Amino acid sequence: MQLFANALIAGSLAALMAGGLALVYGVLGVFNLALGQLALVGGYLTWWLHQSLGLPLLISIIGGLFLAGIITWITFELVINPFYKRHRFLPIVTTIAVSMIFDALILLLFEERPRNILSSTKHFVTVAGARISWEQLILITLTLIFVASVAYTLHSTSVGRKIRATVQHSEAATSLGIPANILHRIIFIMSGVLAGCGGIFIGIDQNLTPVLGFPITIKAYAALIAGGKDNFWGTIFCAYIIALIEQLAIGVPWFAGSYIPAGYQSVVALLFIILVLLVKPSGIFSHKLRIA
Amino acid sequence: MKRSVLCSLVAMALTACQPASLSTDDPIKIGYIGPLTGEAAPYGKDTFNGTKLAVDQINANGGIHGRMIELVTEDGRCNGTDAASAARKLTDIDHVVAIIGGQCSGETLAAAPIAESAETVMISPLSSSPDVTDAGDFIFRDYPSDALKTAAMAKFFAEEGYEKVALITENTDFASAFRNALKEKVGEEKIVFDEVVEPGTKDFRTLVTRLKDTEFDIFFPNAQTDAVMAAMMEQLREQGLIQQAITHDVGDSPTLVELAGDAVDGTLVINVPSAGEGGVFQRQFEEAGYEPQASIAFAAHAFDAVNVLAKAIESAGTDSTAIRDYLYDIKSYKGIVGNFSFDQNGDVVGIPYVLKQFKNGEIVKVKDISVN
Repeated sequence: MQLFANALIAGSLAALMAGGLALVYGVLGVFNLALGQLALVGGYLTWWLHQSLGLPLLISIIGGLFLAGIITWITFELVINPFYKRHRFLPIVTTIAVSMIFDALILLLFEERPRNILSSTKHFVTVAGARISWEQLILITLTLIFVASVAYTLHSTSVGRKIRATVQHSEAATSLGIPANILHRIIFIMSGVLAGCGGIFIGIDQNLTPVLGFPITIKAYAALIAGGKDNFWGTIFCAYIIALIEQLAIGVPWFAGSYIPAGYQSVVALLFIILVLLVKPSGIFSHKLRIA
Repeated sequence: MKRSVLCSLVAMALTACQPASLSTDDPIKIGYIGPLTGEAAPYGKDTFNGTKLAVDQINANGGIHGRMIELVTEDGRCNGTDAASAARKLTDIDHVVAIIGGQCSGETLAAAPIAESAETVMISPLSSSPDVTDAGDFIFRDYPSDALKTAAMAKFFAEEGYEKVALITENTDFASAFRNALKEKVGEEKIVFDEVVEPGTKDFRTLVTRLKDTEFDIFFPNAQTDAVMAAMMEQLREQGLIQQAITHDVGDSPTLVELAGDAVDGTLVINVPSAGEGGVFQRQFEEAGYEPQASIAFAAHAFDAVNVLAKAIESAGTDSTAIRDYLYDIKSYKGIVGNFSFDQNGDVVGIPYVLKQFKNGEIVKVKDISVN
């Protein structure tokens, strides 16, 4: 049971990141390699508001997400918008540059030492045999609500249909009166906000260091590819599944009572993904493309 | 005609390539290698500032025989690849007289062969891996080897009756070498839990869940950085495990309290004394506008490394072999970190160990630990 709780905690973080990625890559088709850095921006800004300026936690989180949204927007206008329609690979270069700039800026502004948003003692409860803190329960619940509402909006409402329409054919959608450019901006900013949530999650549950950016992006890509890039629900689900496999891999004895060495934790999960993709190359939850 | 022009050009180019360190007014170049970016950057920042402080003081007092010291800084990023190219640049392009670095053991071990073949003296202020002992004739350190520290720990475990040690190790050169040395000194049969995780891992919940079913009486978070150690300790205490914890240099960091709060309270640390803390050195350090990122002691070790090197250059000149021999011959150098000398392997002699403990958010000294 504790293993499932552990997986839920790890999975929630992965789901936020993968959700951000699913929006920006899965929906918009833009590679954003600075997503991990945007997560750090959200986390560090929240830390700054809460610990340096002494604002209450809730206001700091909202403020952190708001500022992260603004910075994501600026990023979009400066390095994505001028390029992404010309060639889909151009943003790879521009966002790598941005990620390096962010890395340097974070190092400059927030120094090298690690930071923790919430350093006070956490309060524990035992739920069905698993020990978990209230803070973690709240984080898990909020994450679920947040990603589920994004997924619902995207797949089951008229706004979502419009978004998907602009992605399929931006000009055609515009001619039908859908403000494609604005929707693209909103999706991109939403992806930054989701990533920012991930950063805050790390800042509360673990601690923030200026180098986290890249590794968390990689795991998000794994979840996205395994889930099928056109299915937001699938991506989220796979983020949790990868987390669960990672915990099971090292938490349960496999071969005659011996454990898989902890160093292979993420390898096991990624191997599983490879196996899945061999069977279903377009991703576990990918729909067949509808051809008109 | 044309050929003679070409020949003279080639001749000019050749003379231009020669090391130009013969003039007496030229600055003396000293290299620095350390993790200035990345997760280990707090160590790099502290040792770099300690190095910088020493260099600035020497230059303010007129340099070495009138020659200024010029610091050439390279980022080793706490890994061998970057440190090796840094060492190559410093020796081949900058022609430095000596190198202060690396800081992470992985940096030092990778840079050592290059410094050794270039016959450039290298003094590490922070590397503690036992492997550095055999790294080369030109390689020194003013930070003691973990071979000693693990011996001190094994002795402490035996005295206090800790029989079952649980160990989680981050897979870096320093932490892995520490794990091996500890296993050897404590005895393999006393290590009841031994897992190695990828560098930078922050999710230890499942390992801790397994620890719940393991009988152990002391936990050793063997991490490379305080960020990772904080995650280990927090998640250990989260699941209600109350066993004693003990750790090494990495845990000797006030940042841990900031990160993990009560989770580190009571944790023991065996490390070198907090050299320079609260003394003249700390005052000078802060007056220069620096703030310790991990520990003032790291800055003190770097400060001493530069000064002992400057003393060697002052007496022996800029010839590497002469500097090396001078360093080996030092009887006792009075530094911030204590009175020390170097043994025949370039390892420091004379730095003691102390047992410290986290108490109400402070790291306090409990007692001195003798190694022999």
